[in-house]
Amino acid sequence: MQSLDKTQTRLEGGVSMKTAMPWIVSAVMLVLMPFIFQSNSAITIMNQMAITIVFALSYNMLLGQGGMLSFGHAVYMGVGGFVCVHVMNWDIFGSIPLPLLPLLGGIFGMILASLVGYFSTRKAGTVFAMISLGVGELIAACSVIIVVFFGGEEGVSGDRTYGMPFFGVEFLSQIEVYYLTAGWLLISALLMYLFSRTPIGRMANAVRDNPERAEFLGYSSRWVRYNSFVAAGFFAGIAGGLFAINYEILTEENLNLTTSGSILLVTFLGGVGVFFGPVVGAIVFTLLQTVLSLETEIWSLYVGALFVATVMFFPSGLAGVMQMHIVPIKLGKWRLLVMPYIVTLVPAIVCILGLSGLIEVLFHARHAAIGETEMTLFWVTFQHTEIWPWVVFALMAALGFWLARKNAPQLMEAWHKANTPDGADT
Amino acid sequence: MDLILVNLIDGLVTGLLLFMLSAGLTLIFSMMGVLNFAHASFYMLGAYFAYQISTYLGFWMGLLIAPPLVGIVGAAVERYGLRRVHQYGHVPELIFTFGLALLIEELVKFIWGNDQIPYQIPEILEGAAFSISSYDIPAYKVFMIFLSLGIFAGLLFVMTRTRVGMIIQAALSYPRTVEALGHNVPLVFMGVFGVGTALAGVAGVIAGPVLSTFPGMAFVLGSIVFVTIVIGGLGSLGGALVAALIIGWLTTFAKAYNIRMEDILTSLGFTKPEPVWDSAWADLWTLTSPQIADILPYLLMILILVFRPYGLFGKRDV
Amino acid sequence: MTAALDIQGLRKSFGQTEIIRGIDLSIGRGERHAIIGPNGAGKSTLFNLITARFPPTSGSVSLHGRNLQGLAPYQINRLGLSRSFQITNIFPKMSVFENVRCALLWAQGYRYSFWNMVSRSRALTEGAEAILDQINLLQRRDLPAGVLSYAEQRALEIGITIAGGADVIMLDEPTAGMSHSETDYIVELIRTVTEGKTLVMVEHDMGVVFGLADRISVLVYGEIIATGKPADVRANARVQEAYLGAALEADH
Repeated sequence: MQSLDKTQTRLEGGVSMKTAMPWIVSAVMLVLMPFIFQSNSAITIMNQMAITIVFALSYNMLLGQGGMLSFGHAVYMGVGGFVCVHVMNWDIFGSIPLPLLPLLGGIFGMILASLVGYFSTRKAGTVFAMISLGVGELIAACSVIIVVFFGGEEGVSGDRTYGMPFFGVEFLSQIEVYYLTAGWLLISALLMYLFSRTPIGRMANAVRDNPERAEFLGYSSRWVRYNSFVAAGFFAGIAGGLFAINYEILTEENLNLTTSGSILLVTFLGGVGVFFGPVVGAIVFTLLQTVLSLETEIWSLYVGALFVATVMFFPSGLAGVMQMHIVPIKLGKWRLLVMPYIVTLVPAIVCILGLSGLIEVLFHARHAAIGETEMTLFWVTFQHTEIWPWVVFALMAALGFWLARKNAPQLMEAWHKANTPDGADT
Repeated sequence: MDLILVNLIDGLVTGLLLFMLSAGLTLIFSMMGVLNFAHASFYMLGAYFAYQISTYLGFWMGLLIAPPLVGIVGAAVERYGLRRVHQYGHVPELIFTFGLALLIEELVKFIWGNDQIPYQIPEILEGAAFSISSYDIPAYKVFMIFLSLGIFAGLLFVMTRTRVGMIIQAALSYPRTVEALGHNVPLVFMGVFGVGTALAGVAGVIAGPVLSTFPGMAFVLGSIVFVTIVIGGLGSLGGALVAALIIGWLTTFAKAYNIRMEDILTSLGFTKPEPVWDSAWADLWTLTSPQIADILPYLLMILILVFRPYGLFGKRDV
Repeated sequence: MTAALDIQGLRKSFGQTEIIRGIDLSIGRGERHAIIGPNGAGKSTLFNLITARFPPTSGSVSLHGRNLQGLAPYQINRLGLSRSFQITNIFPKMSVFENVRCALLWAQGYRYSFWNMVSRSRALTEGAEAILDQINLLQRRDLPAGVLSYAEQRALEIGITIAGGADVIMLDEPTAGMSHSETDYIVELIRTVTEGKTLVMVEHDMGVVFGLADRISVLVYGEIIATGKPADVRANARVQEAYLGAALEADH
């Protein structure tokens, strides 16, 4: 989609094949996914993924497109979701088709954002971040005070099947919900993409890069930010509506800092500089969460470490790293990279596995119930009191590190070559 | 009257604690332009380090050793983490410190487990220091007040009376010039970051036993600390002090006096719907001040930002 | 006919120090006016006062007879005044083309619209390309602006400044930090792109503006000591003294 980003700047009479292609492919993929992954748990994960994608894309309207770092974006999703779940409990719900419900969530997310945005978008940067944090915490804390709306500690639950049947579909099964969610995902992603192509969307980028300059082009930076903020609130509310339909319950957890923080993590991991970055982030993060949380108790330690490492070494995120390979591919020199990647990344992976092995054994030794010394790791069962697991993991870590480090210059060199057009070498 | 005095002391303890955290945060912010989201995590580390040391050497050695340890960790974070991220700009820096806060919490859980740990006040400070009519003032609170005041006095002395303090103050406003004069500004930055986090560490050591020491303690206090410096005005030390005290007293008094919305509404001439539970306004009628004590700082922040966008004492265009 | 830009009794103090000490200046429509002066004369401060980046201590600035007091930068821009910056001030992460296109949006009436696609507008694309052509950056259109050379960035800065079609163009030291050949290039560029517009530019060096400006004002210690045709100003005894004095001081 990024290559599209660039060609898009050229004048094209209408919607060209090149711009439409990624969307058509995505739509076909969304339709076909349930036929490939048929199990119930897979569909549950895909629903979760789709909701996270909408939420992360909405978050990136602020962070990536508008340069606003929010620590409280969950409240717009949460409030949108709470409204939807309340509607499910009203009599009028019987005359509303369920697929329209997320729209209502979006509208309420937008209303809340238009109120908060009034004072929070005055400045970007640190001030905006702190205000978003304060407002987020305030609304999260309100959930135990305004019980009528937030339902206190139990939250509010509803039943989606009471809605008006939509062409005979009553949304009893997960798969029906999947297609509803996928449809909204496609619509919202397309709308958000188109938003970034409008004058106000372009100016959001300009204000992000240089608010003062934008002012001298006739645009009020504050008003540009406000518009992005309200639009982001709308799409967060849609994500909230989808959440309400999918889980049929909303609690304080949907509003708090943990949720706001994890969407920052998802978006940044995917890459804030590219439109589809958050999509990558949401998919990878959901898979990672599902797989790791099954395998280890301390998965959030790994996620935290991964996040910090991303910020430090790959600030453009996964999508940014993917994008970096466009030049070598265009130059037809990507083959140069294959061997160096293998000799560097394989030892690096061995090193990481060794380290995580050490961490797991240590964790087991410290926190397992007394007398329980047996543990299984990487399909091998052993006692953490024995010495050999420690030695093996330590050796893996040390050897992997040494090899990766030794081969890293080779990769750097290959990288440089692969990015230099022929004839430009001097 | 006596109750007011007791609450004034309680609020003062909270306020000074908040100030100890926000002072370090403000110092770091005005020097490096980065708001350290992980600041409260260093406060948590202070408590955990002190607990670990106290199990071997007792509370007092913990108080002595833990803050410098936290400061060393902080300086290392600045040297090997923040300095690297600095080139990408302030927003990635803030994201980095946020990630750091998550990571520190996970590390603490990894090492000390998910549950609260039995970190307690030393025996000598158990019991009451004195009483105001029938209210006992715990000795530990008095100790907290004097320790914080002592640290602030020391800090004030270093900043205004010593050469190091002069260099730091100059580096705050004119980093380039100070560098040109031959001072190692990156070293000064690292030092300030270390001292700022060590201050947070002290706060953790002394607050851990009373506010309980558990992995979530950083996030519980963290947001309030940020609210404090936003209210005071980013980068203003005086503002941070005023805001910390206001928040300390506001929450303490709101908790101590049970002001009920029901009374206010009735005195305004509204009639209470019966039964109140069926009314749409039930939450409003049953609202009490202890209930909303914890969200008062946030409300205050929003009010102040609407009317004074730069906080109470902030001038700086951030 | 009202002047394009009219400055009356303008003063500005920072703390105790008065930087601008009472300036009266009237710049007519279509005039190319240069404000020159030695370092520390207050040129940039005056510039920022005119464009309301700083509020004046007293006095007023009017654009086409309309007082600019208390207006935000974007409002001033909409009244037809566009400015460049001394420190290059572009949108570094956006492409060169997008930089110029953003500068066209308001002028072409797109305002805050979210129902138009920028890439669908022929007028926007052609307008932006015409400007890129004028500033000789057409081959660079798809590069991120941040990777351009310094002189190219300055040219882009001028391109952004004129793109909106404002009739009063203000340039803040457009040739600062440039070599001789680059300076000549930029001066030529300024001459062509400001054809028929009111130009106010601040410069350090009299030589740069000599062939370009219709009138020159010399600013020394916050006061205008001379205004007039370039040749007259150069012959002015006080101007020579000010410049020579500054040169002598610099020697010590």
